[in-house]
Amino acid sequence: MTARRLDTGGRIDRTRQIDFRWDGKTLTGFAGDTLASALMANGESVLGRSFKYHRPRGIMSAGVEESGAIVTVGEGARREPNVKATMQELYEGLSASGQNAWPNVRFDLGAVNGLFSRFFAAGFYYKTFMGLPPFEWGHGTGLWMQYEKLIRKAAGMGTASREADPDTYDHAHGFCDLLVVGSGPAGLNAALTAAKAGRDVLLVEQDFELGGVYLNDPEAEQQRLDLVEAVRAAGVRIMTRTTAFGLYDDGTAGLLEKVTDHLSRPDPHLPRQRFWTVRAGATVLATGALERSIAFDNNDRPGVMTAASAQAYLNRFGVQPGERIVIATNNDSVYGTAAELAQAGAEVTVADYRREPSSETPTGVTVRTGMAPLSAIGKSGLQGIELAREAGTSWQKAERLDCDLLLVSGGWSPVVNLSSHRGAKPVWDAKEACFLPGETSEPIFHAGSSAGIWTREACEASGIAAAKKAMGQAADTLAPGGWTTPITPLYEVRLPNRQSKAFVDFQHDVTGDDVRLAQQEGFVSVEHLKRYTTLGMATDQGKMGNVIGLALMAEALGKDIPDVGTTRFRPPYTPVAISALSGRNVARHFKPLRRTPLHDWNLRYGATMTEAGLWHRPWYFARQGETIAEAYVREAATVRETVGICDVSSLGKIAVQGPDAAEFLNRVYTNGFAKLPVGKARYGIMLRDDGMVMDDGTTWRLGETEFLTTTTTAQAGKVMVWFDELLQTRWPDLKVHVSSVSDQWAGVSIAGPKSRETIAACLETGEDISNEALPFMGVARVRLKGGIDALIARISFSGERAYELYVPAASGEAMMDLLWPTAEALGGCLYGMEALGTLRIEKGHVTGVELDGRVTIDDAGLGKMASTKKPFIGSALRQRPELLREDRPQLVGIFPKDRSQRFNGGSILCRPGDPEGFGDGWITAVTHSPALGHWIGLGYIAGGVDAWQGTAVLANDPTRSGDVEVEIVSPHMVDPQGVRMHG
Amino acid sequence: MAELMSALKGHLTPGRYGLEGTAGVTLSEVHPFSLTQIAAWPDSLQAVGLEATLLAGCDAAPTPGQAALGPNGTLLRVEPLKWWLIGRDTPPDLPSLPAETGAVLDLSSSRTWIRLGGANAADLLNRFLPLNLSATAFPAGSSASTAFHHIGVTLWRDEDGFNLLLPRSFAASLWEMLTESAAQFGTEVV
Repeated sequence: MTARRLDTGGRIDRTRQIDFRWDGKTLTGFAGDTLASALMANGESVLGRSFKYHRPRGIMSAGVEESGAIVTVGEGARREPNVKATMQELYEGLSASGQNAWPNVRFDLGAVNGLFSRFFAAGFYYKTFMGLPPFEWGHGTGLWMQYEKLIRKAAGMGTASREADPDTYDHAHGFCDLLVVGSGPAGLNAALTAAKAGRDVLLVEQDFELGGVYLNDPEAEQQRLDLVEAVRAAGVRIMTRTTAFGLYDDGTAGLLEKVTDHLSRPDPHLPRQRFWTVRAGATVLATGALERSIAFDNNDRPGVMTAASAQAYLNRFGVQPGERIVIATNNDSVYGTAAELAQAGAEVTVADYRREPSSETPTGVTVRTGMAPLSAIGKSGLQGIELAREAGTSWQKAERLDCDLLLVSGGWSPVVNLSSHRGAKPVWDAKEACFLPGETSEPIFHAGSSAGIWTREACEASGIAAAKKAMGQAADTLAPGGWTTPITPLYEVRLPNRQSKAFVDFQHDVTGDDVRLAQQEGFVSVEHLKRYTTLGMATDQGKMGNVIGLALMAEALGKDIPDVGTTRFRPPYTPVAISALSGRNVARHFKPLRRTPLHDWNLRYGATMTEAGLWHRPWYFARQGETIAEAYVREAATVRETVGICDVSSLGKIAVQGPDAAEFLNRVYTNGFAKLPVGKARYGIMLRDDGMVMDDGTTWRLGETEFLTTTTTAQAGKVMVWFDELLQTRWPDLKVHVSSVSDQWAGVSIAGPKSRETIAACLETGEDISNEALPFMGVARVRLKGGIDALIARISFSGERAYELYVPAASGEAMMDLLWPTAEALGGCLYGMEALGTLRIEKGHVTGVELDGRVTIDDAGLGKMASTKKPFIGSALRQRPELLREDRPQLVGIFPKDRSQRFNGGSILCRPGDPEGFGDGWITAVTHSPALGHWIGLGYIAGGVDAWQGTAVLANDPTRSGDVEVEIVSPHMVDPQGVRMHG
Repeated sequence: MAELMSALKGHLTPGRYGLEGTAGVTLSEVHPFSLTQIAAWPDSLQAVGLEATLLAGCDAAPTPGQAALGPNGTLLRVEPLKWWLIGRDTPPDLPSLPAETGAVLDLSSSRTWIRLGGANAADLLNRFLPLNLSATAFPAGSSASTAFHHIGVTLWRDEDGFNLLLPRSFAASLWEMLTESAAQFGTEVV
């Protein structure tokens, strides 16, 4: 190929020169170029190496179907492989390089694979390396695992950067009455028609300019400009550089907008790409058609490309792609191109397979009829083409023509991908030799050449008709076709008994021989053919090769193409980067961070935070030089000795209001709530319908018809949804409103012998929280200094005298600024989750790790809380015999036999010498107990504490600490009588 | 009176951010404010609606998806049986309703109120919210419960722009996402 830039013509701006780099060289192009057109204008012909055989490849097309010029763009963290040079807009400083080649694409040592290509047929690797005889006969794929690494290195495309992606990506939602995909003759007319009728129209175009094939026709420029102007004036919203990559349910389309991929120095505030979810009332697909190749020997050589792309390079990019050009065709579409290339000064010969081709032979063009391409001559540069003519059912060699560019048109494949995503099965049209869009009951309408309509005037008319149909108006359906002389199908040209490399799928190096081999080996279903040969499984999903592959399989089977079937297309139409799908939901925004009202306060006072679901909660408050272990032991000990303050704002809080609120809670909880007095709190357990424990917490009766229910942090959302579901579906007669107030309140637990003293010092004069005024489980409204209204309940998770104090979240920090100096002066501390865990394990109080959904209320040792006097959710099914078995695992405390030893949460509890299966139980939580001076744990073991008196038990943890001999004790390990709590 | 702390304290810094040129988006926080939930029973819907209308001082109780502005605040219908009365002042004393008529609840601390104005306010919201926010589909006086990065939020539009109520515990995190995305339009934080 001896391409050169023309001095005039094209849509490029010759006053705006652009420097870019290709494989380390600095080249120049112009504004308006693609990377492909600029490389072609610079005479670069070998731009890539093929997937399997490392054959040299050049530019094969001018669009998304490109299978040759697949390159790596960018450097460092921004290195992106497998970019189609035909779709990459040129910009100043762009840096691109060849891939899948060493040392470079022009001289690639991997090309040695081509010498052994006869061994690399379909299924070669599996046949050769899986269960490799005689070493792996009848067993294993161990060798394959080793070979696979080498094979993956040898084959495959470019490599992505291993650095973190430095760019941002955006998500967006869009809405429109009509989505028009494609801005060619059909798309522009569809958009204009609907917009003029008052519809809100969104027009998306993957190119950086509007116009589709108009862009390749200088004579249509005024028409294009007028149409685009009219479309804008009619209020159509236009998105260029945007690909509709998938259609989904209910008119939803996925779009990928390339926001800055064409800019040298994008504004750092702009995202690189934007992933759109568009909900459209109706969709017009004016997605065009792709020109097919023909399978013949060496049809992949640099210098062989589709005929229409030559027109694009000539007329749009001002590049004369060759001097001596042969055009091999079986249809009318190439004749205009032939005339234009001849006019531009090239020597043009059309080899038309048809015996009676188009009636008019363009000036300066030689036409040879009944001729088809047999073999391309030349390796890195094309030197000529051998032609063949049909002889009966076979072919015979005809003549050789010298040329530097071979253009091929084997027919056109309408782009039916998007409607295929919706399940519309493409229908084979034998007359036009292509698949046409299938029927769909959804408001999706094909227009233009995507509906198999070949003439521009008919495409324009079909765009108008599609828009009318999309608006629910009557319109004629335009018939497919439009060529003067019909196409004569031609898929492959080969001589019997002559070796050839005739590619069907260029991207995956699948040849006609591979298709026949698959047939011989029994892979005759199109789905098996696809998977066995990988035909159509490359990044283009078979845009260029699928029809040829099907035709060859049909021929081998003696069937018609529709009888072989077609695979349906799946999204995406063109590849979508994972980054675009994840958008901004990465790194710290992978999930939203939930902060308590005291978050910043806790951090200021030295908290180390830990994750609790989406929340960050204080884990421990280390003093200078303290380890976590030292910190939490100190904190827990301080709580038992003086006072500690812990942020418990993350607990779920639900306002339960209404005349039937008490009745509602009475049905939800296992224990009675109907008679809970105003000003009292009660610990409650709720079960699921199946009798298993769902959640626990305290409920405070604030008034006759007003309760505050607290849940665990983890189950807050679930319980809220559960309450709503019960009220809406089971008990709609109850007058109860439930509202989440989790975010309304800042809450702290103030625990320890000096807790009352601490709080009392922070109350306004006259407030009384003495033991008489606020006994254990009492609830009151109090006012803190500074006029902060608060709720206080005397409840304890730690087993100490303790209170929970709630103020509106906005007053949370003000509350802490009162409490903490007081507590600090009394020798108190701030404590976190770790110490909280220690205190509750010492007391045998359960949390989510004990109430893990497999546990009954009896298993957790709380069976006495299940009322026998009333029904409640789960009261029936908790009586199932299996749930009443006495040997069920039950909550126990665990001590190490040797008190100096420690053991791990997650250990299996088993009899010595029997560490098999699930054992007899498991450990849920462990801590070092400051009160007892040794490690303790909570867990479950079959039959509970009574069943294991005097029996040796091992805590088995084979991957970490090994075996530790333990003792099973009551879970109430510290102050079992609750003297401290009630005092 | 102790200070009422915004969840955005330390996160919201007034200034000009992002793309240069005219700021496409203006962001501000309303703090403090009052949010009162007024809930009815199925048989008292009209009576409570009237009560809510009187409290807000608006013409009529809004229907679902609507917001009504009165001299005392904005009234939103957030659920079939619930209205939210949003006032720009600190929480007033709660109105009272007999339990047989309805229930009143103070939620003033539970949300963070963000106002969005400017030519690109709807575009910015649509970076996150799957709602058609065009002037015809969502004119002033519209409201919606919707999702922002999987978190339930409340949105309404008035003559000056959009209003977003974020759950307080998520407010800082969602504010970060909102402002980071807003940089592409140019942002004025007031």
